[in-house]
Amino acid sequence: MLKRVIAAFAVGLALASQALAADAPSEIKIGTLYASSGRYASISMPVHSAIKLWVEQKNAEGGVYVKAFDKKIPIKLVAYDDQSNTATAATLYNQLVTQDKVDLLVADSGSVLTAPAVTIARDHKMFLFDQTGTGASFFSKDNPYIALMADPVSTIWPKPIADFLTKDGPALGIKKVAILYSTNEFTGTQATAVRKFIKEANAPIEIVYDQGVPTETTNYTVILNNIRAAQPDAVIHLGYAPNDIAFLRNVQDVGIKFNMLFCIYPGLETELLEKNVGAKGLQHVFTYVPPSEMDYPVNFGMKMADYRKAWDKKYPDGKIEFGFNAVAGYTTALVIEKTLSVATSLDQMELRRAVFSLSGNLKTLDGTFALDEMGGQVGELTPLGQLQLNDHGHIKFVAVYPHDVATGKPVYPKP
Amino acid sequence: MLAYPLIAGLLFGLYFSLVGIGLNLVFGVMRIVNLAHGDFLMLGAFVGFGVFYLAGLDPLLAVPLAFAIFVLVGIFLYGILIPRLQQSVNPEMLSIILFFGLSQVIEAVMTIMFGTSERSIPSRELGSLISKIGKLLGASPEGGPVVILGQSFPAAWVISAITSVAAIFLVYVYLYRTRLGTLTRAVMSRRDEALATGINVDRVCAAAFGIGLALAAIAGVFAPFMFGSVTPAFGADATVTSFVIVVLGSLGNPLGTALGGVVYGVCYMLVQTYLSSWADLLPYVLLILILLLRPSGLLGRQVRVA
Repeated sequence: MLKRVIAAFAVGLALASQALAADAPSEIKIGTLYASSGRYASISMPVHSAIKLWVEQKNAEGGVYVKAFDKKIPIKLVAYDDQSNTATAATLYNQLVTQDKVDLLVADSGSVLTAPAVTIARDHKMFLFDQTGTGASFFSKDNPYIALMADPVSTIWPKPIADFLTKDGPALGIKKVAILYSTNEFTGTQATAVRKFIKEANAPIEIVYDQGVPTETTNYTVILNNIRAAQPDAVIHLGYAPNDIAFLRNVQDVGIKFNMLFCIYPGLETELLEKNVGAKGLQHVFTYVPPSEMDYPVNFGMKMADYRKAWDKKYPDGKIEFGFNAVAGYTTALVIEKTLSVATSLDQMELRRAVFSLSGNLKTLDGTFALDEMGGQVGELTPLGQLQLNDHGHIKFVAVYPHDVATGKPVYPKP
Repeated sequence: MLAYPLIAGLLFGLYFSLVGIGLNLVFGVMRIVNLAHGDFLMLGAFVGFGVFYLAGLDPLLAVPLAFAIFVLVGIFLYGILIPRLQQSVNPEMLSIILFFGLSQVIEAVMTIMFGTSERSIPSRELGSLISKIGKLLGASPEGGPVVILGQSFPAAWVISAITSVAAIFLVYVYLYRTRLGTLTRAVMSRRDEALATGINVDRVCAAAFGIGLALAAIAGVFAPFMFGSVTPAFGADATVTSFVIVVLGSLGNPLGTALGGVVYGVCYMLVQTYLSSWADLLPYVLLILILLLRPSGLLGRQVRVA
């Protein structure tokens, strides 16, 4: 009798396994967009290239482990070019969801090109793997269909700058601050956050200049003259990479010297900025310290040095710079891989649950992955740093705030 | 506060005159709309990159080189594209489609070849040859910004403005002081009558097309210094701005472009000073205003036919 029961159980188990295997898809479809041209190409292509690198690696190993089917399944990356155009992006996001019926939806890089995806994902009840779209409006308690993978949400990202200005600034002699920002979701939100943190600190810091310019701005000479007229001790410029390139070149060209100058992208895309602005143009510029300079402990995926080697092997021509966005793309891929390994189905809400279960536990080369209740990234913080030249005239990062991670003292005022 | 944007606008505007004048010359002579104009600007920038990064020379030397290369490119392209286009029922409309396609091809090829990232040249390198010659002659020219009426401006702006004035002057000399220029004006005035009088219209047009592209390429050499950096996708925005300047000055009148560029530059700098968030709307606002108030453009004598 017992033998019959065991035999029946074994047959049942075998049939169940066969059924499970039969249900397993032949591939996991990941849908995403990239911008091969236009204003956001330089931040989109590194992110996209990182995901492609990961897909190639995983498929060479037979695919990613998908817990829902208890087996490795190859990945199919369905990617379209939005050419940095938000209208095109909206159409293509819709296509990924309704026509291609992708299993996972991944946004393009940056808040501008993520914005159309947020609404579409929510409308179609698709969970959005938001790579670097940090805009504050994306995250709300009534939208469960989003989580930010790789950058701190813009409402908290610039806190180290504001804290440095309000806590260390007065002792250094910083009393007047100028804020110049590009009018888009990413940098607009950062400007709002800087303003808020400074005001809430009640420090003797006055904002003497606070202006937005279109994101497409490529010439800052007149604006720099206006900022100079306000006589600020510190200038905070919040823009995308092309904005920073034009801004820093104009600072050099006009011969203006600000005691403290902060820009976002010298830290995030250092290679690109150094190529365009030069090491001397970046000297003493304050910026975010990227994860590549922090060497975070890793419990999943490649370490920074190994990833850099893999990147250089895959993209030896140097047409796409290795920087913060290359790390962000790989971080997204790692979160996806880990999510698939813990999600019990490919149901979108189950994917969300799986992503949130990683919060605080997943440590990648980008730092600790941690989400707030709305899906905003609060773990992968970037300290405030300053770019200085080493003895060989090469750029090096000096973390200056918060003090517990500082690697040196800030040079203020700029010599 | 007002002096700075006015002077900056004048310098910037003179550069924009150079950006637009080639487009106007091509339209004025052939009545075709070159939507790839901005892409030839971008290609000119890459000639500058080549001269500096490959040959290690002053990017200013890219100006004559770009001119020579793109005159030849223009004549070649004219030969294979324009005569067939002119035989069509509606060459103006078809030229929009044709050159839009050409623009896409140029951008795609350049992206494949050079990637999508921003590229530029250190500003101090522009005119470095002049500085070296000055030093050899005993002068001690200093790098850095140029001071005009007590205000400092990037040296690259002044160099590009001077080059623009020289280029506009040479276009004027070409049109009004040379035989080929006289023939060009004849074609601009009445193509059919020019043909009837025995003028070799194709030869005249090929020269004008080559010069038009070459002027765009010269403007492109300065683009990394004026706009911070250049990517293969730079062309589309440059084409839009060029159109505004051309329409502002007077469509079909190359010299009106000089005025259009200056008006655009000064307006842009004033808006950046007083209403910086709205600066990007300026081209479209100017376009609407000029079409409503003076459709023939600032220097136009009559309502254009095109």
